[in-house]
Amino acid sequence: MSGIMNVGVGALQANQIALQTIGNNIANVNTPGYSRQSAVLQTVQGQASGSGFIGKGVDVQTIVRSYDNFLTKQSALANSNASADSAKYDYLQRLQEIFQTGENGLGATVGNFFNSFADVALAPNDATARTVVMTKAAQMTQQFNFNATSLNDLKLGAVDQLSNDAATVSEMFAQVASANEQIASALSGGQVPNDLLDMRDQLIFKVNKYVQTTQVASDNGGINLFISNSQPVVLGSAYATLGVGYDEYNNTNKSKLTYSFGGSSASELNEIYLGGGEIYGLLKFQNNDLIDATNLLGRMALAISTKMNEQQALGVDPNGDAGQDIFSLPTIPDALASSNNQGTADIAVTVQTSPSGATSFKATDYVIEYNGTNWVATRSVDGTTATLTGFSTTNPVNLDGLTLTMSSNSAQSGDTFYIHPFAAIASTVSTAFSSPQGLAMASPVKASSGLSNTGTLALDSLSALSGVASQPSAVTLTFTNSGSSYTYTRSDTGSTSHTYTPGTAINYDSISTGWTVTLKGIPQTGDTYIIQPNSNTSLDAGNAQAILDMRDLTLFDGLRPLTDGYASLVAAVGVKVQSAQSAQQITTNIAASIEKQKSTVSGVNLDEEAARMLQYQQAYQAAGKMMQIAQSIFETLLQGLGR
Amino acid sequence: MRIATAHGYDTTMDNLNNRQAGLADLQEKLSAGKRVLRASDDPTAMAQAERAMNRIKRIETEQRMLSSQKNSIALAESNLGDSIDNLQTIRQLVLSAGNASYTASNRTSLAQQMSSLRDELFSRANAQDTNGIPLYGGLGGPDASFTDAAGGVTFNGTPGQRSSTLTSIPAALDGQSIWSSVPTGNGVIDVSLSSSNTGTVYSDSWNVVTPSSVTGDDYSISFTVSGGVTSYTVTNTTQSSTTTTGTYTSGQAIVFDGISIVPKGTPSNGDSLSLVPSTNVSLFTVLDTAINSINNASNSNVLTHALGKALAEIDAGLSRLQSGRGQAGDLLNRADLIDSNQIARTNQIQNDRSRAEDIDMVKGISDFQNQQTAYDAALKTYAQVQRLSLFTYMG
Repeated sequence: MSGIMNVGVGALQANQIALQTIGNNIANVNTPGYSRQSAVLQTVQGQASGSGFIGKGVDVQTIVRSYDNFLTKQSALANSNASADSAKYDYLQRLQEIFQTGENGLGATVGNFFNSFADVALAPNDATARTVVMTKAAQMTQQFNFNATSLNDLKLGAVDQLSNDAATVSEMFAQVASANEQIASALSGGQVPNDLLDMRDQLIFKVNKYVQTTQVASDNGGINLFISNSQPVVLGSAYATLGVGYDEYNNTNKSKLTYSFGGSSASELNEIYLGGGEIYGLLKFQNNDLIDATNLLGRMALAISTKMNEQQALGVDPNGDAGQDIFSLPTIPDALASSNNQGTADIAVTVQTSPSGATSFKATDYVIEYNGTNWVATRSVDGTTATLTGFSTTNPVNLDGLTLTMSSNSAQSGDTFYIHPFAAIASTVSTAFSSPQGLAMASPVKASSGLSNTGTLALDSLSALSGVASQPSAVTLTFTNSGSSYTYTRSDTGSTSHTYTPGTAINYDSISTGWTVTLKGIPQTGDTYIIQPNSNTSLDAGNAQAILDMRDLTLFDGLRPLTDGYASLVAAVGVKVQSAQSAQQITTNIAASIEKQKSTVSGVNLDEEAARMLQYQQAYQAAGKMMQIAQSIFETLLQGLGR
Repeated sequence: MRIATAHGYDTTMDNLNNRQAGLADLQEKLSAGKRVLRASDDPTAMAQAERAMNRIKRIETEQRMLSSQKNSIALAESNLGDSIDNLQTIRQLVLSAGNASYTASNRTSLAQQMSSLRDELFSRANAQDTNGIPLYGGLGGPDASFTDAAGGVTFNGTPGQRSSTLTSIPAALDGQSIWSSVPTGNGVIDVSLSSSNTGTVYSDSWNVVTPSSVTGDDYSISFTVSGGVTSYTVTNTTQSSTTTTGTYTSGQAIVFDGISIVPKGTPSNGDSLSLVPSTNVSLFTVLDTAINSINNASNSNVLTHALGKALAEIDAGLSRLQSGRGQAGDLLNRADLIDSNQIARTNQIQNDRSRAEDIDMVKGISDFQNQQTAYDAALKTYAQVQRLSLFTYMG
């Protein structure tokens, strides 16, 4: 009879606990990271008797959480990949917004600047047309400055977010470490602390949102976390601190994640091993995509302004002087030395002048390494290398339109230097003067036809290749028409006969100085053309025409005409955004799919809980009924005794 | 499979958000009329559209230049037309100066008329376009292409003609070839009377009969009157040799070295004609010489000779002006051709741009309605599915 009572009480208690667990599940239906719990019931060992083992009821063995170790880890990893791609995609979208297209874009501004020379070409004496050119030049530099400033703002935003993330995730490492400690002590009590485990899993999930970790379980129930090729960040109850610093070249345009464990001095981590997390995405954006975009913009600014300055120097201004620089450009910074270098070297970088480097620039940074015998440059944008043959303090070398000059050298094998030639160009380029009279629109050279020419020779084009100060003296071309072929002699080369092909350029010399002239039409014997310094420049617009012709110059990677340079920049950024978008979609979908599987195992379904609630409620009611019956049996017994 | 209730809500919310974002994106594109709003929508199309915009702006600039060049040449063309009329009038005056009944004072007044017409012509030769650029500057030069100095009119521009390109025509004509390239005489030889002549010999007819025999040397024909017989001696003054001799008969041709000349009138002993190869002089030099001869002719034969020469040279000058006008007409035709080519190119580039970035409205709107229907369906099913809960049937 007391047995019945005990069985009833046990059943009541067990079902109550089961109902409470269900209540707990219902209460936590929306709690992130909560794993569905259930009471594990077991029969109490039966009592041996002559009539066999008599069951002694039910007991709650333990409360378990529905949990899949593999899915939990996978979910954290997938989410860390998704966070990296999302962070990168978000920033790239903002980067893309900086590079506007259409009428308000930089491309249109550059086009407008060049097109404005058309009015000067028509009326070189029109001050209004010249003023318009100066205004358009200022607009162009301002647009370069504005875009560069926006890029810098984006960089500051990314660096700020990186610092915050590093601080947040360091704090989380501390929390995981403290959870490890609590769990270890709870486990020593023999039961599994489900809610603590959930909390730690959720913490690790959040850590992975910032930086991808590898989890290794320890014997005492702790979880050790490692990042970036097995750097420990949580070991039991000890933890690491992350921060943000600069790379070995102390280049302020790049960020590096720094790591210190247990008070050790901070060291930089190479982000390529990070694998995932928002920090990884931000570092990839700042150190690759943003640098690439800045270089593309800076290269465009440097190439256009260098080329314009060169063309301006070939012209003659209304005072008869050679043109001064129209754009002022910042000095290209010297090569940055690595803090790991054993020796030193001072390497200065300038734009290559002869021949002009403006058409050979590549939008990239460089790492230059001394390997004991040679200097080798590696382009950061594509990893291609170039050996700087003969580079020494006495022998400057040219590299992609830049000239590297070494003023002192005690470099040791393995020493590296960093060159970022385009980083500051777009933000600081400006117009060097504002007076429309400064524009050198006349050509220092002119061509004239002989007075008694009888053929149909006409001037197609004439360009100066040297400035007004170094134009050669007059050269007379005298033509001969033999009926089947045309030849000419030059007054400066005596009787040497040259073949004349209509429409083919005739150059003053082979080293691109002096001038180049193109004639069309058929000469008659004795026809002459004279190329000579231009004495009357007030109504000449030869240089304005030359600047208009610059629109067709292949300036960027030898492929595109100048005015299309921006279109390819925008397309390059667009491709980056597009691929980041699809990467983000893929990793987000993977994360969502794993999250769904995880929730299938661990999540709470209210209908299920309702069904179970009914189930245990009925069991509880039945147990109650049993108590009632036990009581009535007891009373029956008492009445029988009282008689 | 069990569905976690909270996850079900989350998924549905995500889906609804995505649908809404898709609708907003499509709506933005529809209202802008563009399929490509950002480079990432379609980088290639965006670059294509950007390039097309550059091309169109460039063509606009080229067209503006062309229209200005066309105006200049049209101005030159009409200016040359007026100049031709002007020169025709002068020619009439030269013709009328030959009228035998005219006295010296009649001729002086003709010369004055011609002089004022010549000045008018000079100002036409210095015409400028609306930007102040000379119309006849050739390959460039100062504001005034011609200066009227004591020694005659000089051309200050740069002789030569710029060629047309695919998008432009030159904005100036070669003043040297139009105004300053009038051949003297008949274009091959120029005959003049010696100033010391006392007889009335002259010539108004000379020409080349055998071009291959023409030497390009200077000659002089001197007359000797001896015993009533007039004989002539042709001397090659360049080579200092006697070319031929004969007896002179007025109106009979003397032929030597491929040249035929018909002297007329009665030469005195010692009179001579000189023949030099034709050179190019300015039209104004021709007019100045003609005006001077009409004003100061010593006798009618000298006048006849001068008028004959003047008429030949003015005709040559007229043909220079006419060929200049023809050239201007050609350039204008060329400009019209460039113009229509450029318009065709603009249309084509506009089409390319439109293909690259414009949205197909029919497709866009139908996509939008599809998305709207889908969104609506998502909302309705969500509301219905979420109403299903076991708890509603309990108690």
